Amino acid sequence: MIPLTHFLVVGACLFAIGLYAVLARRNAILVLVGIELMINAAILNLVAFGRYDKTMYGGQVFALFAIVLAAAAVAVALAIILNVYKFYRSVNPEDIKNLKD
Amino acid sequence: MPQLLPDISTKLDHILAGLPVLLPEMVLTVTFLVSIGTGLFVDRWWKQGTFAVTVAGIILAGGYSILQLSQPTASDLLFGMLEADAFGRYTRVLTAAVCLLFVLFVHANQGFKAHPKKTADLYSILLAVHIGLNLMGMATSWLMVFVSIEMVSIGSYLMVGYLAKEARQTEAAMKYVLFGSVCSAVMLYGLSFLYGFTGNLDFTSAAHIQGLAATAPLLTAMALLFVFTGIGFKLSFVPFHFWTPDVYQGAPTPVTAFLSTAPKIAGVALLARILYAWPVESLAYQYLHTLILVSAIVTMLLGNLAALRQTYVKRMMAYSSIGHTGFLMMAVLAYSAGEYGVLLFYLSVYSLMNMGVFLFADYIESRTGATDVSEYNGLGPAMPVAFVGFVLLLISLTGIPPTSGFVAKLLVFTAVFGNWQLTGNPGMIILLIVGALTTVISLFYYFKIPLNAFLRKQEGSVDIRPTQSYLVLIATLTVLAVLLLGIFPDWLVGTFQK
Repeated sequence: MIPLTHFLVVGACLFAIGLYAVLARRNAILVLVGIELMINAAILNLVAFGRYDKTMYGGQVFALFAIVLAAAAVAVALAIILNVYKFYRSVNPEDIKNLKD
Repeated sequence: MPQLLPDISTKLDHILAGLPVLLPEMVLTVTFLVSIGTGLFVDRWWKQGTFAVTVAGIILAGGYSILQLSQPTASDLLFGMLEADAFGRYTRVLTAAVCLLFVLFVHANQGFKAHPKKTADLYSILLAVHIGLNLMGMATSWLMVFVSIEMVSIGSYLMVGYLAKEARQTEAAMKYVLFGSVCSAVMLYGLSFLYGFTGNLDFTSAAHIQGLAATAPLLTAMALLFVFTGIGFKLSFVPFHFWTPDVYQGAPTPVTAFLSTAPKIAGVALLARILYAWPVESLAYQYLHTLILVSAIVTMLLGNLAALRQTYVKRMMAYSSIGHTGFLMMAVLAYSAGEYGVLLFYLSVYSLMNMGVFLFADYIESRTGATDVSEYNGLGPAMPVAFVGFVLLLISLTGIPPTSGFVAKLLVFTAVFGNWQLTGNPGMIILLIVGALTTVISLFYYFKIPLNAFLRKQEGSVDIRPTQSYLVLIATLTVLAVLLLGIFPDWLVGTFQK
């Protein structure tokens, strides 16, 4: 059996990679990919911890909800990014800066 | 795998026993489904169909929430997902009121009226967000917290991007959705650790509190910080406020008004519920208390100082609402179990004032096209009703008597002072000083508007378009409410303390 620590380490790596993709901000779609990696890190943690919760399976249920909600959020985000592209002809967050102080 | 079949009937009974408390949410769910149908089929013959259905649904749900106010606390609903105590029930009523104002606002708004896709879908989105807000105010399980925050967030992204008529609106929506999704991903990661430490998702349960106490302090602190990010995004306090000015400026004005009020009501209720679910001497409580204290101080200072430099009205109001968030957090800290009256009063008055300010700003924009303070020059005498009401609301936002903004701030200061005398926490005195100081600072930027509108002259003639909207009527009603609550605060405070 794979010990819990291994899952947590993989989760932490995924989270860090996702965070890097978000902070690098090359392209709005890549930021979304980064967000997805971060969410998957959390889902992996939830399922790994859920193994030790034999009464309610809270972690597994939480993971299912998180997957559905992440998909909904990504659908909305893609629609919005498509609208941005219509106006700016770019999806690079660096180019899109009409609103600022 | 434990055998679930033998006790499935008791489990079903437990669920059914909790359903009457959730009647308002069920009404909203039905209205949501009906509104999709009317948007598709009825609006072709009767243009106001979805609008009428939405208003009826919100009023019905709000009515049921009011009827439930006097009922005793119902805890452990749906296996520890929700708890309907008096505080949660009041936030439900308050949310319904704000949603109703928002529907009327959208209905009267020029930009939405002229929109080719019509507003039926927006009403459906609003109803879903309303359900999310209600659940957020009553959630006691991390699962419910996450689901309700996401329901509200996804709906809000759609609202901001709904018109997508000009470049700035789409930009605001994109910034909002990217920032919001990152915050909720970080929050989910933190929640997964809290679940791992305690093996339990119900944050009010004894197992959860014991689990947190048994974990290494550094790990608890890290997980709580991550969770704090998600709530911070919804409430927009420092350092999670970056999206606020851009989104408030870019979004259609009714949506800005909604975002600056409704999610804050539910978010503050959630924050208070999490904080007071844990015993005072526990490390998790002390950690969260310090976090809220520090960010309240920084939020008040930064929000008000940054507002000084702004001239675009909606952007200025965005920073002002950040400043008010700091105040709300101060009210959360001052609130001790059971005395939620002060916090609820501040929330109600704040929602009225903010809704009113954006109603006036939208009315003035629809008639003159002015969006910047410098364009308000000389408009005061030309539109006396709108500007007198606007200035009264600004006076209330600053906190000058005889308006209800003054009473609300006074009550919060009194509660904070009482808390300091009780606990001797020096942080409370710092909060008090910063609160008073920022009230003075806020005077300078709020008064730019009357200064320009009444004392400066416009070059050339002012072009004022006629309008048929009832915006100014609703806005004037909010001003009246703000003034009346300033003179007779007992009407609300008395109700809350029953």
